[in-house]
Amino acid sequence: MESPEHRAEPSFDATSVRRLPIEFTGSGGEYFRIWIVNMLLLLVTLGLYWPWAKVRRLRYFWGNTLVDGDPLDFHGEPGQMFKGWALVGVLFLLYNWAGSVSALADVVAFVALGLLWPALWRSSMAFRLGNTSWRGLRFRFVGSMREAYASLLPLFLVALPLVLLGLWVPDEPEAPAPDWVGWVFLGVMALAVCVLPWLLWRMKAYQHRHYALGPLQTDFRASVRAFYGLVLKPLGLVLLLVGLAVGLVVVQLGTGLEWPGKEMMGALAIVPLLLVLLVVFGVTPWWTARLQNLVWTKTGNSQMRFISRLSFRSMLWLSLKNGLLTAITLGLYWPFAAVAMARLRLEAVHIRSIVDLESLLAADHQRPAEAAGEAAGDFFGMDVGL
Amino acid sequence: MWAFEAVTAMHTSPRRLAVRYFDGRSSRAQAAVAWLHDGELYVLGPTVRLSVPAKQVRWPERTQRGPRVARLPEGGSLQSVDPAAWDAWLREAGRGDSAVVRLQQSWRAVFASLALLVLLTVAGYIWGLPWASREVAHRVPDSVEARVGEVVLAQLEGFTRPSQLTEQEQRAIEQAWEKVLAAHRAAEAARGVVLRPTRLLIRHSEDIGPNALALPGGAMLLTDDMVRLLQHDTRVIAGVLGHELGHVQHRHGMRMLVQVSVMGAASSLLWGDFSGILATVPLWLGQAHYSREAERESDAYSVQVLRASGIPPTVMVTLFERLALFERCGDEVLKAPAPDSPPSVPPAAAACKAPAPTGQGDEKGGRWGLGFASHPANEERIAFFRAAAR
Repeated sequence: MESPEHRAEPSFDATSVRRLPIEFTGSGGEYFRIWIVNMLLLLVTLGLYWPWAKVRRLRYFWGNTLVDGDPLDFHGEPGQMFKGWALVGVLFLLYNWAGSVSALADVVAFVALGLLWPALWRSSMAFRLGNTSWRGLRFRFVGSMREAYASLLPLFLVALPLVLLGLWVPDEPEAPAPDWVGWVFLGVMALAVCVLPWLLWRMKAYQHRHYALGPLQTDFRASVRAFYGLVLKPLGLVLLLVGLAVGLVVVQLGTGLEWPGKEMMGALAIVPLLLVLLVVFGVTPWWTARLQNLVWTKTGNSQMRFISRLSFRSMLWLSLKNGLLTAITLGLYWPFAAVAMARLRLEAVHIRSIVDLESLLAADHQRPAEAAGEAAGDFFGMDVGL
Repeated sequence: MWAFEAVTAMHTSPRRLAVRYFDGRSSRAQAAVAWLHDGELYVLGPTVRLSVPAKQVRWPERTQRGPRVARLPEGGSLQSVDPAAWDAWLREAGRGDSAVVRLQQSWRAVFASLALLVLLTVAGYIWGLPWASREVAHRVPDSVEARVGEVVLAQLEGFTRPSQLTEQEQRAIEQAWEKVLAAHRAAEAARGVVLRPTRLLIRHSEDIGPNALALPGGAMLLTDDMVRLLQHDTRVIAGVLGHELGHVQHRHGMRMLVQVSVMGAASSLLWGDFSGILATVPLWLGQAHYSREAERESDAYSVQVLRASGIPPTVMVTLFERLALFERCGDEVLKAPAPDSPPSVPPAAAACKAPAPTGQGDEKGGRWGLGFASHPANEERIAFFRAAAR
C-alpha cells in the first residue's frame, strides 16, 4: 500500500496486504434502553443484578463491533462473574477495614494486595480475552503469571515506600513529622514521576505481547522513549501553566503592590479550576488518543498488525460534546456518549494482514475463566485492552 | 446422527434459514441452513450436519443492530446473514424474547422504567435511606461508636484549646447542666428510658466560633465563645446542651456516618459509570437535608429536657437572637457584657458599633453545628420553641 508505514515494515508484501476495517454498529438509542432497564433492575435488586447488567452491556458492545464484517461475541456467564465480584468485594472491604485499624495493618494489607494484584490483573485479561470470540474462535491471553508479577514489581517497589512513610508520620497533628520524612516523600514522588512512563510501558508491553487468536500472537514494539514523550508533554504543559500562575503572583508582589486584594485572590482561585478543566477537557482526550495510537499501532506481528489513527481533534470535540450533553441531561445522555466514544475509538483502528484471517485454526482449546480478575479490573478502575 | 437424512427429509414444513456456521476450530465460515423442529435445532451444510436440543443453545438476545450469533454446546456457532430474517425465523418457531429483552426493545416500557427508576430513587432517598441508617445506627455496638467518637474527638482537639473561662465560670455551667441532666434523667427513667452516657467538654476554639457539637460516642463540645455569646446564662446553655443531648440520644452522629457511607456506595453504583464529581452531588445534598431532620428532632428533645427541670422553652429564643446579633456584629458581641446590663438585652434593639465585614458571620458560624446552613430557618425554630412554651 501507499502509506509510509509500509516502507518501514519490510515484512509486509505489498501485493497481498489486506486491510480489515473495524466498524461499530451500536446505536445510542438502543444502548439507552438497555442501560435504563439495567439501572432499574440494579436498583430493584439492590445491586445484585450487576453481573447480568454487565454481561448485557458487554454483549451489546461486542456484538456491534464488526471486524472485517464479523462481530465479536462475549461469552462470560453472569453467575461466574457474580462469584468473582463477591470475592473482590470482600477483598476491597478487608483492605479498607485494615486501613482504619492501624497504620501497620494498612501496610500489611497493602503488601497483601500487592502480592495478589498481579494475579488478579492477569486473570482479568485472561477472562476477558478467553470469553471473547470472533468467527467462532476464542481469543486467548497467553501471558504467564510469572511475567505478570515481574512487570508489576517495580510499580509495587515505588508505591511501597510511600505507604511505609505513613508509619512514621505521627498521628498527633501537634507533633510535626521529622524533617527527613518530607524530603524522603518528595524524593520518592520525584522518582515515581521519573519512572512512571517506564512502568506504564512495562504494563502495556505485558498486555500487548500476549494477545492471541488461533496461531497468531501479538508483539509490542513501542519504545520506552515514546512513553516518556507521552507522559512528559502534558505534564510539562501543566507545570508551565502552574509556573505562569505563580510567576504572576510574584510579579504582582514584586511591583510593590500590597498583598493581593479580594479581586486578585478571586482570580487566583480560578486558576486551579481552569487547570482542572484543561486537564479534563484537553489533556485527557489528547492522552487517550495518543496512547491508543501508540499502543495499538505498535501491536502486531510479522503477519498482521493493528493501525490506529485516532485524531486528537475528533477526541476533543467528542469529549466536549459528551461532557456538555451529559451534564445538561443530568446523566441521561451517558449511553449515547458511550456509544459515540466507542464508535470513534474503534473505527479509528484497522488491521493489516498478509495472512488469510478466514483460515485460522484454533490452538488447543483452553478456556481461562477467572472472573475475579475481571471484577477486580472494574473495582479499581483498570482499563483492560482497548 | 445415522438417521439425519431420514429425519430431515420429514421436516418439510419448518422454515429453513440461511446461516453461516463456524465450527469453533477454524475461522472459516460455511454457508449452511438451519431449522427448528420439535425442540431440536438442525444445521445442514457442506461439511456439517448436526442436531442439538434447542435448549442447550445459547441464543442471542434480539437487538436492532448487529448480527446474531448463537453458540452451540460443542463450541460451534451460527451467525446470521440477515438479522431480520433470523428474528422472524425464531418468532415463527415459537422462541419468544425474554422479559428483559421485551422491556429493552420498547420505548414505552423504557420510559415507564425510567419513571419507576426516578420514583424508586426519590422514595428510597426520602424514606428508605433515613429508615435504613436509623436501623443500622441503632444496631452499631456502643464500643464501635465509642471508638468512632475517639477518632472524631482527636480530630477536634486539633483545632480546640483548653477553655479560657475561669474555673468558677466553668464549674457554674457544669453544675447547672448536671442539675438539668439529673432532672431529665429522672423523668426519662420514670418512662423506662435509660439515657446514653454523655460528657460535657468546654473548649476554646478560634475556628468554630460560638458553637456546640455532639460527637458520636456521647461527647458534647461547648465552645467558650458560645458561653460568652449567651452571657453565661445557664438556662439558655441548658437548652443548647439539651439540643445536643438530643443528637446523642438519637445517635445522629452514627446515623450521619451510615448515611454518608450508604449514599456514597449507592451513588457510585448508579453514577460511578459516568463521573466521580457527579457521584458526590447527591451525597452532599443528602447530608444537608438529613441534618435538618435531625435538628428538628433535637429541638424537640431540647424542649423535653428543659421542661423536666422547669425551664421555659422560650429561653431558646435568646439563643437565636444572640446568634443573629453575632452574624451582624461579629466578635464584638462576645465581649463581656456590661456588669449592670440584664442577662439578655433585647438584641434587636442593640446596634453594633462597627458592623462585621460582610461574610464574616457566615464564615464564623457557617460550617459547624448550630450555625450550619442546613439548620431549619431560625424563624421557624423560634416559632417552634415559642409554641412549645404554651
